[in-house]
Amino acid sequence: MRNLWLTARYEFLKRVRTRSFLLSTLGVPALIIVVGLIGAISASVGESDLPLGYVDNAGLLDPSLYAEPHLDEMDDRLELIAYEDEAEARAALEAGAVQGYYVVPAGYPQNLQIEAYYLEEMPSGGDFADFVRANLLAEANLPEGASSWLLEGPELTVRDMNSGREMNDDAIGNVILSFIGGFFFFFAVLGSAGFLVQVVADEKENRTMEMLITSMSPFQLIAGKAIGLIGVALTQIALWALSIAVVIVIAARFVDFLAGLTVPWSFLLVFALYFLPAYALIAGMMIAIGSVVTEVQQGQQISGILNLLFIAPFFFLPLILSNPNSPILVFLTLFPTTSFMTVALRWGLGLPTWQIIASWVILVVTAALSIWFAARIFRRGMLRYGQRMEMREVIAALRGAEV
Amino acid sequence: MAVVTVSNVSKRFGRVRAVEDVSFEVFPGEIFGILGPNGAGKTTTIRMMMSIFEQDGGTITLFGEPFREEHKQRIGYMPEERGLYKDQKLEPTLVFLATLKGLDDKTARARLEPWMQRLDLWEHRNKQVQELSKGMQQKAQIIATLIHEPDLVVIDEPFTGLDPVNTRLVKEIFQEQRQAGRAIIMSTHQMHQVEALCNRIVLISRGRSVLYGPVSEIKRNFAGNAIILEGEGTFDQLPGVLDARRENGLWHLSLGAGVSPQEIFRALASNPEVAITHFEVAEPSLEDIFVNVVQEEGGLAPTEGQAAREVEHA
Repeated sequence: MRNLWLTARYEFLKRVRTRSFLLSTLGVPALIIVVGLIGAISASVGESDLPLGYVDNAGLLDPSLYAEPHLDEMDDRLELIAYEDEAEARAALEAGAVQGYYVVPAGYPQNLQIEAYYLEEMPSGGDFADFVRANLLAEANLPEGASSWLLEGPELTVRDMNSGREMNDDAIGNVILSFIGGFFFFFAVLGSAGFLVQVVADEKENRTMEMLITSMSPFQLIAGKAIGLIGVALTQIALWALSIAVVIVIAARFVDFLAGLTVPWSFLLVFALYFLPAYALIAGMMIAIGSVVTEVQQGQQISGILNLLFIAPFFFLPLILSNPNSPILVFLTLFPTTSFMTVALRWGLGLPTWQIIASWVILVVTAALSIWFAARIFRRGMLRYGQRMEMREVIAALRGAEV
Repeated sequence: MAVVTVSNVSKRFGRVRAVEDVSFEVFPGEIFGILGPNGAGKTTTIRMMMSIFEQDGGTITLFGEPFREEHKQRIGYMPEERGLYKDQKLEPTLVFLATLKGLDDKTARARLEPWMQRLDLWEHRNKQVQELSKGMQQKAQIIATLIHEPDLVVIDEPFTGLDPVNTRLVKEIFQEQRQAGRAIIMSTHQMHQVEALCNRIVLISRGRSVLYGPVSEIKRNFAGNAIILEGEGTFDQLPGVLDARRENGLWHLSLGAGVSPQEIFRALASNPEVAITHFEVAEPSLEDIFVNVVQEEGGLAPTEGQAAREVEHA
């Protein structure tokens, strides 16, 4: 076991010291942080906090209603200044006292037309529209509280009868977060397992294989390398997750729905369960490819094609968003190479529990078979220097027969 | 007690018979040569000893018992197909390989410095392996094979890529290892190195052991199977002569099995077309013995069903 851990440590350090690892691991979070910060800063800088002016030619608007508590986000609301006529409002605009002004025509609300005037940036009309609605509702003499109900609208909670999960406006951020998390998680796993092709083919190309397998068992060699690469993947995921968390914490000050985000523990639990079998499945395939080929480049070409089997769910994104329970998506959820990503993409959009359990069981069984096949092919192909294994040899290796 | 005992071992790959009924023993404090032409089955035999391949028949014991995973720590192995991680620095690579053989990091580093100093690699320790010459890489691999002070050293073509100075240095190292009581198994085509270093050899041809025993005894047994001549005439057509070559004005004749120098002498004396000024029964070189035996056994000119000739271990 000691050699297994020594190999894992060596492989881990060897990978994390490469330029490509530093670029992909630190570059992606840096990009996320920079883009996130630019977005948040531009959002805050772009919104002017100058008051809005209005000219009420209809005599409809009661300034006291602007202070009604049901008009949410009182602290963030812009100040409204009433002007007697358009000339006065225009002068205020040109003097920079307001960012724009609205003109409510006489006879409103018969024609429902309000005009807005501005010089450079079009003012956000949300606060003024809420103010107008509040005044119109006041005119209707509704029962007490009815104005608030109409202005705030319903709070919709969608419950999935199969899985028991529920989703509301507050949870939408978590769905997006799960989506992004799954995306990064999966590509880190695919990337690091993909290194196994390189690692196995590298050992053959460098002629180090025979020296290593006479220092430890082939199982220790491969398991050590796989664990080292899992460490690489987890390091990447941790750094990416940390950077996403930093961006969210900072951006939450400027973007309201981010403030309502919570850690999606159930999502993390499911993906913790999927992580090892998914990794083992990919790793088994990559080890087998690395054992069959003679050069790293050949292995990368084959694994590149194989990767399509894993990223296929992305081609069904429109379907996932429009009809997440369609039969084809159920198939992709159960199919071992696509289950991991499909579960991530469907998470939060209504994923029946039976599908999660069934896909996990299928994934575990397939992963075990993948490792078993890989071990047989590896033993046969590990000393094939400069000579590619033919298909009949691969089949013979799987059957445990000599060619 | 023998460090390695190979008894009647066989191995087939599909329809190809790679090794057939090979037996030998290797003892502590000796350098043992495994010889044979290309494709004879040497590497397959070594790989079975190392438990990389499983034999189809026969038994192999290491240190008096069947192979166990723990034995790997007591073996230093430098295979025929070898190399180091090209894009890694030399010293950490050697430390890693040493720790795989049971040394801790500190001990590995402590032992590494004198080895690297002795083999002129210390100044190159921070270079990537790919920056080193072939000879330097070869010396680094020798260090990786010996640094953990193994009881059994198995080394395939140890002198490949070494210049004469380094070849001499490596020979000195092997002799020191032998004096330290280690068993060294060496596979090489360089017969003069085998003659200079090996106590005993096994010659494998077409998967079979055709010659086995102490080098001195083998040479003695084959004395009389070679003749050195000086004179005028054609000598390669003489009956019973397997090979005739001329070096520095002298003819070296290798004789077939059962052909005595007297028969050749009589044949020459009765031939009016040749004139002899010097006739000498020569002790054959190991290379002569190798070529003759392999030819006889069909390793170079295939024939079937020839029995192994073995000289028992003294």
